[in-house]
Amino acid sequence: MAHEENGGHLNYFAVFIALCVFTGLSVVFDLLKFENRLITIVLVLAVAVAKAMCVMMFFMHLKFEGNWKYVLLAPTTILAIGLPLALLPDIGVAYYTPLAPQAGEWGEEMQAYKASHHGSGHAESPDAE
Amino acid sequence: MSSHAQQPSAVKMGIPIPDSKLGMWLFLGTEIMFFTAFIGSYIVLRLGSPGWPTSSEDTHISVVFGGVNTFVLIVSSYCVVVAHEAMAQKLFGKARQYLLITFALACVFLGIKSMEYYGKFSHDIIPGRIPETPTQAIAKVDRELETVVRARFAVYTDGEDEADVNVPEARDLATVSAQLDVFANGDEGDAARRETAKADLRLYSEWQNLHQHIVANVSLEDVPQAAGPGYLKAREQLAEGEALPTLKIGEVEGLVKKLKSDVDYGPAVKAGVFDPHPVLYGNLFASIYFLMTGFHAIHVIVGMILFGLALGSKLDESWTDWVENSGLYWHFVDLVWIFLFPLLYIV
Repeated sequence: MAHEENGGHLNYFAVFIALCVFTGLSVVFDLLKFENRLITIVLVLAVAVAKAMCVMMFFMHLKFEGNWKYVLLAPTTILAIGLPLALLPDIGVAYYTPLAPQAGEWGEEMQAYKASHHGSGHAESPDAE
Repeated sequence: MSSHAQQPSAVKMGIPIPDSKLGMWLFLGTEIMFFTAFIGSYIVLRLGSPGWPTSSEDTHISVVFGGVNTFVLIVSSYCVVVAHEAMAQKLFGKARQYLLITFALACVFLGIKSMEYYGKFSHDIIPGRIPETPTQAIAKVDRELETVVRARFAVYTDGEDEADVNVPEARDLATVSAQLDVFANGDEGDAARRETAKADLRLYSEWQNLHQHIVANVSLEDVPQAAGPGYLKAREQLAEGEALPTLKIGEVEGLVKKLKSDVDYGPAVKAGVFDPHPVLYGNLFASIYFLMTGFHAIHVIVGMILFGLALGSKLDESWTDWVENSGLYWHFVDLVWIFLFPLLYIV
């Protein structure tokens, strides 16, 4: 079934080249150092999703498999997404002020220390909410 | 033969794939949940921890290592799919070649990963060992320096033939230092050993001084004698509501640098004391990094075993399903890394 439709060796090589290009893109997006870090995050994760789709559809032959793939993968996908969504309200986007004791000690002295050691690195500020 | 065996095989009910492949996909379903639990928890914890370490100065993460390993896994995934295709075409020699390349690439991946791990260990980036505040960083220097002093004092108290100092163990450092002072400034024993003892007493004095300053939480530079006469005098001169300058991490950083450059005990301090480097949420980062990459590396090893078993066999037609299922597993290992690379190395 899968082997009759997958188009053979050449297509695999094209997928391989696409995966290499995508990996290069991830590194380029990191090197570009966008002013807004969110742009980098969105871009590299989009590239990761594209790479994952290539591997799943062509290397794992899911593009050519029957509908059983949905029966098998839909529940696991739902559960996989469910866990972070369940944790997110309390830990990820807490409505109260997070009081990690170690964060409280990071005053001006540490910010100056960090600036002198990291230069213009993109370390997140502990004050950022 | 029984009449039962001559009957045409019954129509296979259920999902139209071989049982072994169904088993592998069900297993991969559980694996998806296993890894997304880690990845999802990481994303959530990171969102809830403003100030998460991202600089390579803090994490010692190299995009180059991660990028090369990504490339290595992609090439190996391609080799597996070609090997599977070759098995389907009964080109077993070709399949063996590509499986061998895959196995070799898995070794390369683990080699690079072990280099990365070594880089972390050599900077003490280990869960539970990373100071997260200036106070913790200074206390860590204090503990490490004390360990170095104890190890150096033990040479005089645990001498195999005859101990230079008559104290059974270097547990009571004050007593050892007092007796060592007598030994170092006397004329008994080996002269070179007495000189080393003098250097070790200097190191003890430096550590004791730092320790007292940590206890009193006063500056090394502005209050030279913590808990001593200088400290008491400085306190007397304070106006009401005024406080003595507190110990700064920069001062301790300078002290460690000075101790490491000493001709006599410098190498021992270098080997035993890490530069003070507080990293906010560093332990959480290290736990997540080692948990995720560690479990991924275990999966790589399992994949190598699967390919190793195929390579150790005759690799005939009967191994076609094995190669296909091992390939599916290997692609999944690649898939996990596709997400770990941006999440751990770039974002």
